[in-house]
Amino acid sequence: MAGSGKSHLRPRDEVLLRVEDLVVEFPAGRGRTVRAVSGVSFDLARGETLGIVGESGCGKSSAARALVQLPPPRSGSVRLDGQELTALRGEALRRTRRQLQMIFQDPISSLNPRRRVREIVGEGPRVWNLPGDRVDEVLEAVGLDPATAAVRRPHEFSGGQCQRISIARALILDPEVVICDEPVSALDVSVQAQILGLLEDLKARYRLTLVFIAHDLAVVKNVSDRIMVMYLGKVCELAPSADLISRPAHPYTRALIASIPDGGLDLPPSDTLISGEPPSPVDPPSGCRFRTRCPRARERCAAEEPQIRQVGADHWLACHYPALPDVEPPVQPAI
Amino acid sequence: MRRRFGIGFWLAVGWVGVVLLAALLADLLPLYRYDETLAGPPQTGPSWSHPLGTDGLGRDVLSRIVYGARVSLGVGVGAVLLGLLIGAPLGILAGYRRRAADAIIMAVNDVALAFPALVFALAVVAFAGASLRNVLIVLAVLGVPAWVRLIRGATLSFAEREFVLAARVLGTRDRRILWREIVPNVAMPAASYAFIGMAVVVVAEGSLAFLGLSVQAPTPTWGGLINEGRTLMETAPHVVLVPSVVMFLTVLSFNLVGDRLRALTDVRESGLEPVRQVTVSPMPVAEHQVRDTLLQAEDVRTHFATPRGLVKAVDGVSFTLERGRTLAIVGESGSGKSMLIRSILGLLPGSAVRGGKVYLSGDDLTARTPAEMRSVLGPRLGTVFQDPMTALNPVRTIGTQVTEPLRVHRGLGRKEAHAEAVRLLASVGIADPVRMLRRYPHQLSGGMRQRVTIAMALSCGPDVLFADEPTTALDVTIQDQVLRLLHQLREEHHMAVVLVSHDLSVVARWADEVIVMYAGKVVERGPAAEVFRRPRMPYTQALLQAAPRLSDPVHHRLREIPGRPPDLVDLPPGCSFRPRCAYAQDRCGQEAPPLVGVALANGAPVNGSGHQYACWYPRPIETAIAEGAESSGR
Repeated sequence: MAGSGKSHLRPRDEVLLRVEDLVVEFPAGRGRTVRAVSGVSFDLARGETLGIVGESGCGKSSAARALVQLPPPRSGSVRLDGQELTALRGEALRRTRRQLQMIFQDPISSLNPRRRVREIVGEGPRVWNLPGDRVDEVLEAVGLDPATAAVRRPHEFSGGQCQRISIARALILDPEVVICDEPVSALDVSVQAQILGLLEDLKARYRLTLVFIAHDLAVVKNVSDRIMVMYLGKVCELAPSADLISRPAHPYTRALIASIPDGGLDLPPSDTLISGEPPSPVDPPSGCRFRTRCPRARERCAAEEPQIRQVGADHWLACHYPALPDVEPPVQPAI
Repeated sequence: MRRRFGIGFWLAVGWVGVVLLAALLADLLPLYRYDETLAGPPQTGPSWSHPLGTDGLGRDVLSRIVYGARVSLGVGVGAVLLGLLIGAPLGILAGYRRRAADAIIMAVNDVALAFPALVFALAVVAFAGASLRNVLIVLAVLGVPAWVRLIRGATLSFAEREFVLAARVLGTRDRRILWREIVPNVAMPAASYAFIGMAVVVVAEGSLAFLGLSVQAPTPTWGGLINEGRTLMETAPHVVLVPSVVMFLTVLSFNLVGDRLRALTDVRESGLEPVRQVTVSPMPVAEHQVRDTLLQAEDVRTHFATPRGLVKAVDGVSFTLERGRTLAIVGESGSGKSMLIRSILGLLPGSAVRGGKVYLSGDDLTARTPAEMRSVLGPRLGTVFQDPMTALNPVRTIGTQVTEPLRVHRGLGRKEAHAEAVRLLASVGIADPVRMLRRYPHQLSGGMRQRVTIAMALSCGPDVLFADEPTTALDVTIQDQVLRLLHQLREEHHMAVVLVSHDLSVVARWADEVIVMYAGKVVERGPAAEVFRRPRMPYTQALLQAAPRLSDPVHHRLREIPGRPPDLVDLPPGCSFRPRCAYAQDRCGQEAPPLVGVALANGAPVNGSGHQYACWYPRPIETAIAEGAESSGR
């Protein structure tokens, strides 16, 4: 796993966002380089929610920021509605910003403590010289009472309410794609459910296309049509959500699912599926990047990087020795 | 929100205001001219016509102080503002643009900071001539490097915050980001530093004036007044004392105001910060029986007095725990779950008021002093916290930290302790324990650090291991390894485990018994399997249905709990969950429901499992099952 390739991409005219061979690297000091994202490709059809899941250091957040060109990727292509974003700089890039919005993990840190909610949410229209009369509408859409909320400052709200304000700020520009980077990880379970429900409602109401990034597979499955699993800057597996969870073929996907208590699946215990700790992205392993923790790894995995290939209907995988069942597994386990 | 500055701050503001006003309005005040000699008899002390006396030439000291304030404060305010005017743009540029601009500005700045400031000032003033303008410019320039450094630091810290990223994603231009997002946040630390800077400049000007290198006579300045008066120390001490005291008070006031403003930017008070030194009468302990069990908590209460009111963080929690069992305490933030175990361990801040009793094998822990608790914490009660980095000392090796409790509590020698540490680290699944002992905490991954803290918690063979969100900061695959390890160690050491977690799935898998907390109270408890399969209290049920599960279908609508977590100083009467509960009725708002056992309609308990809930209108068992099935099968 942890491989490259573009065979899983759909024809260009069918997708809204197409990312090819994305590479994000940062200097790590002493001449070394953090290889955060190494050749990741994926695409997004209009109205679709793509979930990106992986553990810390897998490059999911770096990939999200590379999509909005903050900072631009080291190499690769990000094509939004046919327009190549990586080639743009300065004012030309700024003009594309309305189409791509982002929601962040930390609800407190993503709001300026010195501004009032009306200014925060109304910032987008002001920047774009649009009428600001939609502030009340979006505040209402995210479940806040405009009359009382608009004049207050962020610290007067709870974490969940701050996240609603962030969502309102992103929505007011009518973006084509909203990238949600761990939007519910900092929230309590009961509030998390509210925000997930809200995102689903807004997606239907404003016909949004979402990239939903999280480390919690159960949360990602809840909202995503397709899920892409990442490990150490590479793509492992990509499949429709239900398919990925019920028929995980990549050893890492299987370990991830087995690690979740109450996974409800018939997988062996996680300690037989994964061992040790993730290696450093400064010095990733040769060949397949997962091989150092993979019980199925053989010599070939160190020598040759697996390419993404198709293993089922819209089910893609980068692994030399996947756990593919000879026969289709019975039925999805009943709960 | 109004914040309390304290009387000192307002006195300081008042003093600065009076001095400033006097200096500004000096020409309008009924004062003698500052240079009018023999306005009164020379060197006389305070009198009606000369409230602060006269100097050696018979000039009015009050008048000279007031006019001197024009120079001293003028230089103070002027130099600071000029320094800010030059330093702030450079600091913002360096902090926001980073890269080359930052490197160049900071390199020049560091060189500038290396100059001996006062020598530079003396040289320039001596060379260019001592005038108000020259002194002001020199002191302003000397202040610039500090301004650049301060503004750059503040800008950097805000430029990396997500709201700045969000503004860029919105397409906001840099200029607007600077003015709208960064400058308002940098303004407060800058204002605070400005006051402290004024204090420094007033002293610096005083020093120059004392050396005769500031504004020339007869224009008075405070430093100059002190200089003139020094020859009269024995005959007329007031000539020196008065300007000294005025200068001292002014500098002190500037510093006080600056410090208070800084405190304002550092902490955002929520009104729930505990007030220190409150006297609350100890809470009475209800009659209870000391049981023959490993750990018994009886009516544990932890209260805090805060500016907004009394916070009952833990409000009457009781449980017992046997060896070889895992008790899970679950709840959302603010439920009091962490405070409960801190209360049991006696690790509360001094401002807490603790009630109830805790017995370890029948021994009353609440009667012990903090010093006496030390022989229990570690040897008998082990602890593992959420963030292993805070539990480990960053500047000491793993080896010294793991062997220390072995030597202190178990009295092992150096070699024995080392051997035991190797054995302990191996037992928590660390592959190369000998090498691990030589490393520092920052060299380890989060999972490894947590293994080390578990090894340390186990080093003295505790009877009970308290794990407060032990895996919340870890990745899923690592989290599973650590929980497995805790479970396996419980078996090997025959201990009891108290597991605090917000994650219901973790609890369901690893706990034997569970306590569900809400707003400081137990709302449901019992065998874990029973509570999760047949929750009776609506909150437990809603919480279970609110958590996404892998087995749920895609786009499954989770159960939403309306409203927000309760405000602990303003809990609703009756049941705390009532405002968010779909099943609440009148009675719920009047009486708090007690914790009662599960019973069938005929009054007989379902089983002896000890499943209890606090609810007037519990969900019927059949409904609980049916709704559970419906929610997962939709």
